[in-house]
Amino acid sequence: MMDYNRSRNQLEEDRIDEVLEVIWMLREEGGASTDDVRKRSEDPEVDQVLKMAESERFVLTDSGRLSFSPQGEKRAENVIRRHRLAERLLSEVFEIEEKQLEDHACELEHTHVLSEVVVDSICTFLGHPPTCPHGKAIPRGECCKRFLHDLKPLVVPLTELYIGGDARIVFISSKYHARLDRLSSLGIVPGSILRLHQKQPTYLIKIGETELALDGELAKEIFVKKIYTS
Amino acid sequence: MHGHTVKDTKTGSKIAIVGNPNVGKSVIFGLLTGRYATVSNYPGTTVTLTTGSCKVGGEDLMVTDTPGINTLIPMSEDEVVTRDILLNDEVKLVVQVADAKNLARGLQISLQLAEMGVPFILVLNMWDEAGTRGLDIDAKKLSGAIGTTVIPAVGVERKGLKELRESLSGRRFSSLNMTYGRIIEEGIGKLEALLPESKISGRSIALMLLAGDASLKPWLSRRLTPSDISKIETIQRNVQSRFHEPLGYVINQARLKKAEKIAEGVLSRQQKNGSTLTTSIGRWAMHPVWGVPVLLAVLFLMYEFVGVFGAQVLVGLLEEGLFGSYINPYMTLIAERLIPDLFFRDLLVGEYGIITMALTYSIAIILPVVGTFFIAFGILEDSGYLPRLAIMVHKIFKLMGLHGKAVLPMVLGLGCDTMATLTARVMETRKERVIVTLLLALGVPCSAQLGVILGMLGGVSASATLIWASVVILVLFIVGFLSSKILKGEGSDFVFDIPPLRVPVLSNIVFKTFSRINWYLKEAVPLFIVGTLILFTLDKIGGLAAIERVANPVVVGFLGLPAKATEAFLIGFLRRDYGAAGLYALAQNGQLNPNQVVVSLVTITLFVPCVANLLVMVKECGIKTALAIVVFIFPFAFLVGGVLNFGFNLLGIRL
Repeated sequence: MMDYNRSRNQLEEDRIDEVLEVIWMLREEGGASTDDVRKRSEDPEVDQVLKMAESERFVLTDSGRLSFSPQGEKRAENVIRRHRLAERLLSEVFEIEEKQLEDHACELEHTHVLSEVVVDSICTFLGHPPTCPHGKAIPRGECCKRFLHDLKPLVVPLTELYIGGDARIVFISSKYHARLDRLSSLGIVPGSILRLHQKQPTYLIKIGETELALDGELAKEIFVKKIYTS
Repeated sequence: MHGHTVKDTKTGSKIAIVGNPNVGKSVIFGLLTGRYATVSNYPGTTVTLTTGSCKVGGEDLMVTDTPGINTLIPMSEDEVVTRDILLNDEVKLVVQVADAKNLARGLQISLQLAEMGVPFILVLNMWDEAGTRGLDIDAKKLSGAIGTTVIPAVGVERKGLKELRESLSGRRFSSLNMTYGRIIEEGIGKLEALLPESKISGRSIALMLLAGDASLKPWLSRRLTPSDISKIETIQRNVQSRFHEPLGYVINQARLKKAEKIAEGVLSRQQKNGSTLTTSIGRWAMHPVWGVPVLLAVLFLMYEFVGVFGAQVLVGLLEEGLFGSYINPYMTLIAERLIPDLFFRDLLVGEYGIITMALTYSIAIILPVVGTFFIAFGILEDSGYLPRLAIMVHKIFKLMGLHGKAVLPMVLGLGCDTMATLTARVMETRKERVIVTLLLALGVPCSAQLGVILGMLGGVSASATLIWASVVILVLFIVGFLSSKILKGEGSDFVFDIPPLRVPVLSNIVFKTFSRINWYLKEAVPLFIVGTLILFTLDKIGGLAAIERVANPVVVGFLGLPAKATEAFLIGFLRRDYGAAGLYALAQNGQLNPNQVVVSLVTITLFVPCVANLLVMVKECGIKTALAIVVFIFPFAFLVGGVLNFGFNLLGIRL
């Protein structure tokens, strides 16, 4: 990818990134056609950029339906991963308001801004979040597979919070639907502020005036960010 | 699912009380109807519907108390009951009871009631507790925000009752509404077009379907064609595919956010610190270290009160005093005068007489124990200790494929296994319910039996009590462990609401104990009489001796007990506490040595509790499972007794 950066002007690269991003998001919502991309994209010369992406063999067109080539897939995935991790970083760490989130995240999504190594560090720092603050999936990176622990993450599973600590739930990473339903019906959702009272024999947390006991297996899947009160 | 429908009312429109678990719905129900529904301080006390009547301004109302729910998308059987009453019944008004301390969680349900389009009013119960925690709710403002009546109340002090009764005659529809974002709203629109006529809004049903509520399937399939149902499923899948997270979770989050926003608007907080004694004890009772001495202290006090005071002091007074010295001799005297016929005289006051056996056992031996146990148990329930116990034993229960919540039906089983088997509904999966039902039937002695057992063992030695308890607990654990491996299906997650520790309200303890004793007398005494009649008849026709001969190899040979113990086992089939009472009488006559006491008690403890319990098992688990449980239990009980006897002999143990 670095080769492209040298041979082509930066702005064009960024515009290809944007279009790939739009296609990815449309695909998440069911499928992408050239028309959809035209509607969704903010690029005034979207057709031109699409053509560029096609000639670079990132995007394949089949009677108006768009799909990624393997290398396009890889590039789009990287863009999305950067964008959504950036959103997490900005909202969790810097607590930037939602309105401004999008603009900043868009700037951070490009390869020349954040290198792969930096992105993996952010991911690790945030505890390898599975979704962005809007609930959309963040593509997994190499670091998630290794689940690095050498960098002390900011967002940790509840099991690693100290007893008596206050924390805000950032995300819940569970593959069981019923579990998420149950937790959310009891008020355990992202955004809730909790205090951890004990870890044995079961976890005991307090949210508002509700005290809840939960098994360690559930606590492992609840990721929180510590709140320091002065 | 199991015919939970309320008995059709003669007159009156229907009022349903709904709300989160453990917010005091049953208290409000009691206040409105004057009928007692069991009230305790832990979630899941009410698992079925209770209906009572109430008259307001000349209008007859039928009020129904329902099991607690956190959302109207049910996750366990007891929750299905509550949703179904809204879905299927003509409800005039819903009285939503919420915990004032946890307003947002209550409003989550308000949002759903408004969505359904059912008229409701909101009772903010435990208003006083919110106050002591520094929470101040502007009820008027809240009423404006949700567009329906809001009544602050303290149920146990009858505060707010007058306003509540006055509001019952109206029908207020809340003005609350919310949207869930473009994609979900589109899905709702498409689903609504397909849905049949219903008592609640199509929008609310559409949301339940989107959230993946499987319990609606039977309702739908009765009303729609298979092709429409498959269309509905396709829509659900399509909407879900646009979200990374399960829709139920997305919807719950949106509701909670909205509820919190409303709550924040009407709530002011004052910092109140300093923990009270009850909160400290509440903490200790769940503490990994201090929780253990607290548990031991609770057990010790229970034993002193039930095992010593009830089973020894009171039983002594009643059995030897009242029945032994007065009632039985006098009744015998009177019978001898008035009833010339020996047959009928024996029927009343003979060896297997209704007075001398059935009433002596049930009133003199068992009632004091049942009474003291229900008092102690009521105090435990109302204090909020039981959920804390669930935390302490969670890990042990996990090994049996269950989790801490299962301790509730198990402990309730120490009161009455039949009631407890119903409570197994709080467990979420069938596998868990079957294991709980099996363990209850197998080895959790009910208070009646426990009392007799403790009374007997108290007369032997502490080590005898210890051996009996260890064997039974070990057997329960092994069977639980193995059945969790053998039975197919899944367990569920342990997430459990821990209510605050409270000082029990005396009147509730009295009410509860009274209604439970009343229930015991109605349920158990007739069976005791039936059992006595069977023994009497068998004795008269010479059948008893024949059965004893047949059972001889097992009872005498294998268990090493006297042949007369067969009688106890025989009536033990009917009710195992009655069987235990028979053993008690044998031991008192010096016909059992300490070893035999322990062997016979272990055997009878492992019997199926009683006929009523069997019927409930059939109802809850189906006849096949219930029969399998019974066929397993009886031979197994004798096997364990025999092995214990063998072990005693082998090791030369003489207690």
